[in-house]
This record gives sequence, structure tokens and C-alpha cells, in this order.
Amino acid sequence: MPDPVPADARPSRDDTERAADHAAIDRLTGELLPALIAKLGATGLGEIEVREGAWRVRLRRPAGPPPSARDRRASDRGAAERSTDRGPERPPRAQHMHPHPEPPATARSDSRSVATSPAVGIYQPRKDLTVGSRVRAGDRLGAVDMLGVAQEVVAPIDGVVGTSLVEPGEAVEYGQELVVVEFGVPMSTNGTGGA
Amino acid sequence: MFRKVLIANRGEIALRVLRACRTLGAEAVVAYSEADRESLPVGLADEAICIGPADAQRSYLSAPAVISAALVTGCDAIHPGYGFLSEDEGFAEVVAAHGMTFIGPPANVLGRFASKAGTRQLLGAHGLPTIPGSDGMLRDDMHALAEAERIGYPVLVKPSAGGGGKGMRMVRTPRELESVLKVCRSEAKAAFGDDSLYLEKWLDENRHVEVQVAVDRYGHGVHLGERDCSVQRRHQKILEEAPTPALSDAARADLAERAIRAVVAAGYENLGTLEFLVDRAGNFFFIEINCRIQVEHPVTESLTGVDLVAMQMRIAAGEPLGISQADIRFAGHAIEFRINAEDPAHDFRPGAGIVERYHAPGGPGVRMDSHLFTGYEVPPFYDSLLGKLIVWGPDRETAIARGRVALEELVIEGITTNVDIHQALLASETFLEGRMTTNLLDRVGSAAFLAAAARV
Repeated sequence: MPDPVPADARPSRDDTERAADHAAIDRLTGELLPALIAKLGATGLGEIEVREGAWRVRLRRPAGPPPSARDRRASDRGAAERSTDRGPERPPRAQHMHPHPEPPATARSDSRSVATSPAVGIYQPRKDLTVGSRVRAGDRLGAVDMLGVAQEVVAPIDGVVGTSLVEPGEAVEYGQELVVVEFGVPMSTNGTGGA
Repeated sequence: MFRKVLIANRGEIALRVLRACRTLGAEAVVAYSEADRESLPVGLADEAICIGPADAQRSYLSAPAVISAALVTGCDAIHPGYGFLSEDEGFAEVVAAHGMTFIGPPANVLGRFASKAGTRQLLGAHGLPTIPGSDGMLRDDMHALAEAERIGYPVLVKPSAGGGGKGMRMVRTPRELESVLKVCRSEAKAAFGDDSLYLEKWLDENRHVEVQVAVDRYGHGVHLGERDCSVQRRHQKILEEAPTPALSDAARADLAERAIRAVVAAGYENLGTLEFLVDRAGNFFFIEINCRIQVEHPVTESLTGVDLVAMQMRIAAGEPLGISQADIRFAGHAIEFRINAEDPAHDFRPGAGIVERYHAPGGPGVRMDSHLFTGYEVPPFYDSLLGKLIVWGPDRETAIARGRVALEELVIEGITTNVDIHQALLASETFLEGRMTTNLLDRVGSAAFLAAAARV
């Protein structure tokens, strides 16, 4: 996972600060983000920002063309943006090919999350799951075979299995987006119905 | 030659290997951790593949991740760079088992030279003087005291595993030895998971001189001269130069010739570096061999014109060296400055952050091997090396003069670097007279050293 840091504390962090940051990140991804994503979906607002101590989380609906797969992976769980003032410039990038085609640039919706690859290797989805299957966060969606050892691909949120972004048997890299999970829980009070 | 090479490293050495691959007409795939997604080697590579998170244990040090990445990208060889998996016998073996070539010594050669004590015995048997040390590992305190008595104080207590100064203590008396054994054991246990210790004779004013060798699969070897790495801080090299100012031309040639004869006889293969301590009288003692390309290899490239990484790849591909010792010519003098993200004024505290502005120096005899660019964010997870500035001149004075100009011209804003200490070195009489010893910076103290230079 990229390591988000508070915008005003970039240089030198000691271990306690680091531990506090990691705790904050866990809380962010575990509790805050799903709630915020649901809220953003429900309200139809363009942007929501929440402040907590030194942290600031901003969710924004994509306005222009969807970000590239790289950008999506670099940002945490897709929807949360690192609110740093200055990002690094890109190094010169010549013809840059991946061993696999880039996932299709599907339109971005904030009512979904994407399961990513836990390893570099060959991807196989779970055969008994199809588009529309209900899953809980942590459920196994498939596995990536890394030198004969199966590394589990798990659902990031409770929801419904959506589009697959890679084919069974395809080579994938660490962190690559594999399967969309729609945040569609009908009984949820502020869910958006997903799909 | 290889068709497609996976580069399993990061930073300046990933870039260096990428350039060598291109020179040899091989495609290069850079394997990277999430923390290096926006790095220069990834941006410049023909292909790049993310192998794991920032934690090196799960990316650059993960043999399954690296090998899996090489397989899915269709590579026929893996270059490990230095550090990480570069001297891992088990890794080299699994790479070969998957039908690919490990660019370095074959697994069985790495195995033969894996133990420091064993290697000293082996090369000692082939005619190299070795540093006097304990007979194997220390069994207990009584054994340690008896061995220290036999070797003669002062002695250096060293852990069998690892390096980088952890678990190492120099002692001058039996009392001191008794008092440090416990702490050395616990430090070694904590750092390397192995608390076995051994003793080595400590040379008070020693210089570190190493010999670069290259041996092909057919037992044909050449040396590429020596490098002097006596400018160190806590057993870490910060500046290297060649030829060494410590030895006469005849003594240098003798050292290099004995080194290459011994490793060829002992069955070494591929690029390697033999490290020696040289005492005040010019006696040299073999301490260890590094079975990989080294950080300071450009010093030798500057003197000989040989592309060492390309040579390493050719040897790994099974090609004969194709040259003999007489073909290796040495010209002039070269100095390498390791530019680290650390603060000499604050005990070399390592740094990370965004490079606000970067400018690499140029001109005759100036080479900058670095992965920096303006806007690059130096991640906090890995070593502090930002790049290497290498200067060459027809003689040492010219190299030093070019070094001064180049260090002055180098711009790295946004991150504190150790450029100051290099400028202080080039202003210090001890360095200018070629009298640096490995413990000088630590003995004098870096702060005092900087202050003295500022007064000049």
C-alpha cells in the first residue's frame, strides 16, 4: 500500500508517528472510507472532505476522463486522494509496456471497490463466483499463483461481484486491479443500490 | 547473450544495469516495489513489473516474487544488482532450476565462498596472507579469551553473519573483551538471528584496499587493479579511489596478481572483489570476498575503460573473457564520491523527501550515476545512496581538482546530503597526502572534521 502521509509532516517521522499513521490508515480504509463512499454516492455531491487531527481525506467524483490504471493504483483504494500539496513529477517515460494489457478504463463510480492482486503471478478467479454473486469483505474471489503458491485475492468490501478486469490465467503484477466489487447492499440505509 | 533480463534492484544500480542491457542489445524488465513506482529506472525501462509492497522482505528480497516476475515477463536471466539477493546461493539455485541464468557466480560457487572463515582458509591455502583470527567461532568466554591471547590484542569481535558494523567491537584488553562479548552476541542475534562471533586481529592504522577480478567459466581470469576504500564511517565506505596512494606500483601489481591467482585456483567464477587490510608497513591481509558487482565499480571502469556490468553479463552467459591480462590497461586516477541522503552535521542522520531541484555536474572526466530527477520523492524504506559522482584525471591532482568543481556544481535541493563531508575531505591535508585510514573519520569525529575543513 502506498504510504499516505500528513501533508504538513512529510520530512522525518519517528516510529511512534509512523505507528500512529498506520493506525490512522487502517481506520481510514476500514471504517471511514466505506461510509464516505456511500455518503458521496447517496448525496450526489461532487466532493466530500473530512478532517480529523492532522489528517484530511477528500473524496471527489471524477470530472474529466477517468484516471489511468496507474493513477488508480497509486491512490488508496481508488477513491481517496492523497491531499498533498505537491506530488512528484513523473520521470521521463518512454514506451512503457506492461506484461499484460492495461485494465479497461471503465467509468469510475464511487459506489464500488476493486480487488487487487496480492502478488506477481498468474491469476485464477474462483470458479463458483459470477457477476452478481454476493460477497462479504475478506471473502476469497480467486488466487494468484506465485511460483506454485496460491496467494488469495479477497473482496475489499461487502458487495456484489462485478466486472473482471483480467482474464483467467493471465499474468498480473502486485497491486493490479482484478475484480470490481459493487458496493450494493440493499438493506443498507445509505447504500446506493450499486450495479 | 541474453534476450531479456529482469533487473531485481532499484535506484542507481538498476539504472546502471538497464544501460548495460541496452548496450548489449538485451531487453530489460525492471522489477519494482510499490514505493518505487515513480522511480527513474521504472520510467526508463522497456517493461516494468510491480513485485510487492515497499517492505523489501516482500519485494526486492522475496525470491518467489522476483522469479515469478521474471517468468511471467518471459525473461531468460535475472540481474540482482548489489545487496538484496545478489549473493544468495539459494536464490541463484532456484533461478537456475527455473531455466534462467543468475547474473553472478553460479550457486555452487556462491556456496563455496559463503562463509567468511571458510573463504579465508581456502584462499589462505592458495597463497593469500589472511588476517590472523580465531580458530572458527567462539565457543564461550574462556575460548574467546584464550584465542585473543593467541592472536594478540587489540582484536575485533565480529559476528559470523551480516555486516555493516552491527555486533562489532574493538577491544584492547581481556577485561574489555569480557565486557563486550554479551552485548555483541545480543546485537548479532537481534540483527542477523545468529549470535556466533569470531575474533580478528585489529590493525590500528589500516587501509582498506580491494582487488577487482573477473573469471570466466573456463577458468580464465584477469584482475582489473585495486581500489582504495579507506575513507569510511562506521565501517561504511563513503569515498573510493584508484590507484591506492598507500602502495607502490610494484606492491599494487603484486597484490593484484596474487589475488587473481588465488581465486582462479580456488575455482571462483564471474566478477568478484577481494578485500584486504593494509597495515602501515604495507603488509596486506585478505579479509573477505564480495561475489557481486560493487557500488564502487565505476572507479575501475574509469581507469580501464572496461564496462564491468557488461563483462559480468557476458561471463554469466557463458562467453569466454576474450582478453588477457596484458589487454587491461590502467590510465590516470579516479575518485568516487558516494552521495548519500544523510546529514553529516547531525551524525549522518538518514533523510527522505522530495528533490526540489537536481542538477548533475559534467565536463571532462566527470560521470554521475544517479536515479535522481527534479520532483523525485526519495522513499524512506531503503538505503541512503542517492548517486555516485565519479571523477577521472590523468593524475590524482587533476582528479581532485575536477572533483572540487563537480561537487560545487552538483545541485540537490530539498534533501540534506553528505556533499559537505566530501568537500571537507578534498580540503583535508590527510586526504590530499593520501594518508586516510579506515578509522580516521570515526576517531576524529565527522563534526570536528567538517569544522577543521571550514577553517582552511
